[in-house]
Amino acid sequence: MDDKTRLDLYRVMVLSRTYEEAILREYHADKKPAFDIGAGLVPGEMHLSAGQEPVAAGVCAHLRPEDAVTATHRPHHVAIAHGVDLDKMTAEIFGREGGLGHGRGGHMHLFDPHVHFSCSGIIAEGLPPALGQAFAFKRGEGDRVAVAFTGEGAANQGAFHESLNLAALWKLPVVFVVEDNDWAISVPRDVSTAIPSNADRAAAYGMPGQRVGDNDVDAIYTAAGDAVARARAGEGPALLEIHTLRLWGHFEGDPQAYRPELADVPGRDPIPAYEQRLTEAGVLGAGAAQAIKDEASARVEKAIAFAKSSPVPAPETALEYVFA
Amino acid sequence: MSATETTTASGAQAGQAERRLTTARAIAEGIAQEMERDPGVVVLGEDVGAYGGIFGATGGLLERFGPDRVLDTPISETAFIGLGIGAAVEGMRPVVELMFADFFGVCMDQIYNHMAKIHFESGGNVKVPMVLTMAAGGGYSDAEQHSQCLWGTFAHLPGMKVVVPSNPADAKGLMISAIRDDNPVVYVFHKGVMGLPWMAKNPRSIAHVPEEAYETPIGKAAVAREGTDATVVTLSLSVHHALDVADKMAKQDGVDLEVIDLRSLVPLDTETVLSSVARTGRLLVVDEDYQSFGLSGEIAARVAETDPGLLRAPLRRVAVPDVPIPYARSLEQAVLPTPDRIEAAVHDLLKA
Amino acid sequence: MADVLFPRLSEKEPDAEGVLATWFVSDGDQVAGGQLLAEVMVEKVSGEVLAPAAGQIRLLVGEDQAARQGEVIARVD
Repeated sequence: MDDKTRLDLYRVMVLSRTYEEAILREYHADKKPAFDIGAGLVPGEMHLSAGQEPVAAGVCAHLRPEDAVTATHRPHHVAIAHGVDLDKMTAEIFGREGGLGHGRGGHMHLFDPHVHFSCSGIIAEGLPPALGQAFAFKRGEGDRVAVAFTGEGAANQGAFHESLNLAALWKLPVVFVVEDNDWAISVPRDVSTAIPSNADRAAAYGMPGQRVGDNDVDAIYTAAGDAVARARAGEGPALLEIHTLRLWGHFEGDPQAYRPELADVPGRDPIPAYEQRLTEAGVLGAGAAQAIKDEASARVEKAIAFAKSSPVPAPETALEYVFA
Repeated sequence: MSATETTTASGAQAGQAERRLTTARAIAEGIAQEMERDPGVVVLGEDVGAYGGIFGATGGLLERFGPDRVLDTPISETAFIGLGIGAAVEGMRPVVELMFADFFGVCMDQIYNHMAKIHFESGGNVKVPMVLTMAAGGGYSDAEQHSQCLWGTFAHLPGMKVVVPSNPADAKGLMISAIRDDNPVVYVFHKGVMGLPWMAKNPRSIAHVPEEAYETPIGKAAVAREGTDATVVTLSLSVHHALDVADKMAKQDGVDLEVIDLRSLVPLDTETVLSSVARTGRLLVVDEDYQSFGLSGEIAARVAETDPGLLRAPLRRVAVPDVPIPYARSLEQAVLPTPDRIEAAVHDLLKA
Repeated sequence: MADVLFPRLSEKEPDAEGVLATWFVSDGDQVAGGQLLAEVMVEKVSGEVLAPAAGQIRLLVGEDQAARQGEVIARVD
């Protein structure tokens, strides 16, 4: 892997983490003193992706704006890595008129048609539409692909199994990326899944499967490159399972009492580890990491300012957009 | 149709050669003409290819357009309906068949949480121009899990249009409109109106269908029979039964019924219903779906919230009385909205 | 004058009786060559009957009536 690629991966991960830290701050700022989920400028559920940046960065580095991505209830890192409009995404999270969905969708229902990005709050149900996008791409010009992100808990849902079979059967240019962050809310993988790795399920559906351990963005980048290239070449779908890390709770407000290893979790943060590797390899020179962080911070704060200045949707418009 | 146009008994305009088709063939013709016009129209579902659809809705399409455009799917409704959604998002116009409306349980998330909501959630930025067809209805002893109508359930959930043709000409026109519509359209066809050779058929299932492609407006009811004594609001196979009852009661009892064929549930043509009820003052709703919490209650509510004074008598409804559809013929015929039940309800309505 | 025959749908049972399920035209109608005239059934298999020529059609078998495969069900003058 060349230095530029690795630097780009680092930059995307830093932007993503900086973003999630800012949303964390904004989300909790006005829910004090006691946490009230419905209060404040960003009410509702919030599922943040801190720790899972390597998956998004490593996979989306191989994608072009005309490739499709479907993501989950925990979408921000994927959206950022795929180039979703950051200002409009933030305004959408804040429920404002200037948001991607004019405030109609919020954080779990982000749609950016310019980069063919969508996400859904229903577990595993983002997979079938990705098949359809791949189906349309296969019939059109070029070698566009669709990538469907999902979780290790979702891999036990019917939609997952139906989608894998149909994708392989019709040789659709789709890549399935399972983010195994160990926890389906509070249920660990070995309590939900009969086999140790979802990568082993791929063969049952007629496609290659690979598990990437260690939350290592370089390894993810390499594995994803193979899967995406395969799909672009018309060889059909592949399954990637990536062992990643959910740094924070399932949703904001989750006390995580069920998580025995909580004290060890910050030590497994992938970004400082990658920063150290790049510094030791001379890819990140003196001050470069800080410059990247400052740039990310500025970009994120600009997006938040844009969101806050965007109008709140007028109640009289509540019935718009039901039909085209 | 205006009073100045003359038509044959089967519906052809004067000067136009009569061309009779079954509802099933009319649907397939509508799909075929749109497939000719627009390469983005594809057909997906179980047995839609060589079999032509279990109820004939896609007959002849595979032979004409090939397996690249008419695709038999595995038994994976969530996957293939979701595939239709994704293809529609990327600009195609899929026609996806759910074999029986009763099967919606296995794939309802893709239908009501995705197909119906994506346009709204995206603030209008993403369209889902797909048609979801499904066979519905009973009367031939297919029992609880294969005889339901369920259009009320789909109509209740925001974000999808719902159309229910009763006759061949409307079936073709509504299919063409549905395919051309940029919104998701649930297209429900009653097996009993399809004119299938292997099921008892009402003669109204075979009628004139214009040869050219044409659109029947979604959201507009049709006055199937003009009358003065009472308004029967209904849809689908019940239109055939209501017309049969109307003919009989005109001869036998001198009763003149107006029959409104809703054709669409979403959008619902409230105006046509209200203007009819305003003239007749008496309302009977006939709905083969379950009685409570559905279409018949909705019609009643729309009349009542406009002006309950429009009604000279309490309204009546004939629907399936909140019971699963039984297998035994004697029981099934007791719960479906048969002509006998409709006739009895009209008598009841007129004497009140 | 052309005979309209009930199609042979069952090779296994050439003498099996079928049903004329649906007439799409009426007795005395003018029909075009190739026009769809009827739908028939032999056991569970359905088939189409197309007009062999143009002309006026006379129906010889009624709807829902039984007929043999190969039987003349109508004539076109």
